[in-house]
Amino acid sequence: MKEELFVSGRDIPNIDPYLHIWHWQIPLYLYLGGLAAGILFFAAYYVIKGKEKQMQTTVKWATIIAPIALVIGLGALFWDLKHKLYFWQLYTTIRFTSPMSWGAWTLMLITPMSIVWVASYMKEMIPGWDWKWDILNKFEAWVIKYRVPFAWVMMVLSVILGVYTGILLSAFNARPLWNSSILGPLFLTSGLSTGLATIIWLSKDKNERKVLTRIDLILVIVELFLIIHLFMGFLAGSAVKTEAASLFLGGEFTVTFWVFVVILGLAFPIVLEAFELRGYHVPKWLPPFLILFGGLVFRFVMVEAGQITRFLY
Amino acid sequence: MKKEKLHNTPHYINPYLGGVLLGLLVIITVYITGRGLGASGAIKSAVVTTADAIYPEGARENPYYSRFISDGHSPMYNWLVFESLGIFFGGLLSGIIFGRVKKFRVEHSPKITSKTRLIVALLGGILFGIGSQFGRGCSSGAALSGSATFSLGGVIVMLLLFGTGYAIAWMFKKLWI
Repeated sequence: MKEELFVSGRDIPNIDPYLHIWHWQIPLYLYLGGLAAGILFFAAYYVIKGKEKQMQTTVKWATIIAPIALVIGLGALFWDLKHKLYFWQLYTTIRFTSPMSWGAWTLMLITPMSIVWVASYMKEMIPGWDWKWDILNKFEAWVIKYRVPFAWVMMVLSVILGVYTGILLSAFNARPLWNSSILGPLFLTSGLSTGLATIIWLSKDKNERKVLTRIDLILVIVELFLIIHLFMGFLAGSAVKTEAASLFLGGEFTVTFWVFVVILGLAFPIVLEAFELRGYHVPKWLPPFLILFGGLVFRFVMVEAGQITRFLY
Repeated sequence: MKKEKLHNTPHYINPYLGGVLLGLLVIITVYITGRGLGASGAIKSAVVTTADAIYPEGARENPYYSRFISDGHSPMYNWLVFESLGIFFGGLLSGIIFGRVKKFRVEHSPKITSKTRLIVALLGGILFGIGSQFGRGCSSGAALSGSATFSLGGVIVMLLLFGTGYAIAWMFKKLWI
């Protein structure tokens, strides 16, 4: 009897058949990164439009959250690393085809920029604030002088940051749930919307809230539209794609996704916001809270579900 | 201005119309989900889950709790839990539209304090919870959905629930009006 020995290359623990390497750190980071991108985008946008006076919370107070979110998010990423001491090697190269390289460099720039942004408003936020050293005061004066160009750079970087949180997943061509180009704009929209929700929560100015709520309403509708298109794309795709989508259409993530992300995290808040804009009394913290909660669950579900989808059988 | 005022004065639905709508809701629920409504079941799931999280050995040994605990299937993954979430958010939406949502507050009779009201409400809730487990359902599960299927038990629960309430309301009316 001739015996043949088969050697399969498919026994790779934690990678094949299921990816099992990304835990809570990654979705938390994607969430906080998107949130910071949203806050910084709108702060920069209103400075460029010259509306600093009308949008005080957006431009000043809310931006304090951005560096904190970025630092906690990066801390989570660092925690996730297996070889922590080699993280600096990301900065020995620039690779245009790698989303991670884009992200690493964008974060390298936008994190200190967000800190400088908040610092440059310290004197306006806290009367009597003094930087003590002359060089810091000079640097502050320089930032204030070039605030608009600074805002332009930060706005562009914040868009890259927001898109990158989605592209990071969609560049995984081995995981059908992530391998969709809709993920970039979807994560950007969701990040902008969670950022706005944070600002709306903090703002006490009626007019500012109204302007921001209107934008948020549009963003959430766009997000719903992108989610529908994500699933249309999957269902019109190959068998692995329809199988990936079936996790959300009857599979184990159906309830979590549709109840907590789509209904409570998107649809219900826009109904509440629409009523608020028409003059009804809505608890002010509720729509932002639901949007922030929905965004967090969305990232956890996407990262968790994506890891168990696969191309090979 | 008139519209603004309308938003901010509380409106309540006519109780008879509300009753009819509730009945129609049972029909729709049975049509969509294939089963009736309930409310106490969600609380039970929450209690069982909490007990299982804090003291798993105890919860699993308890003859009553253990009936609802199984590995790989959380008691919270239950239609009644999601239905109750829907009741909460739906009620909130109704409150917003009909001007009943204002600043956070405790509604109570001017004759008693907020503290009394909260303590008595908690006691009432506990009694209702225990009673609903002996009666195999509360006013939604047993009385409403039960009597909709012409179940004798449902009718008995309905009569006892509201009959007892009517009979002893006089003694406790100071806690309410």
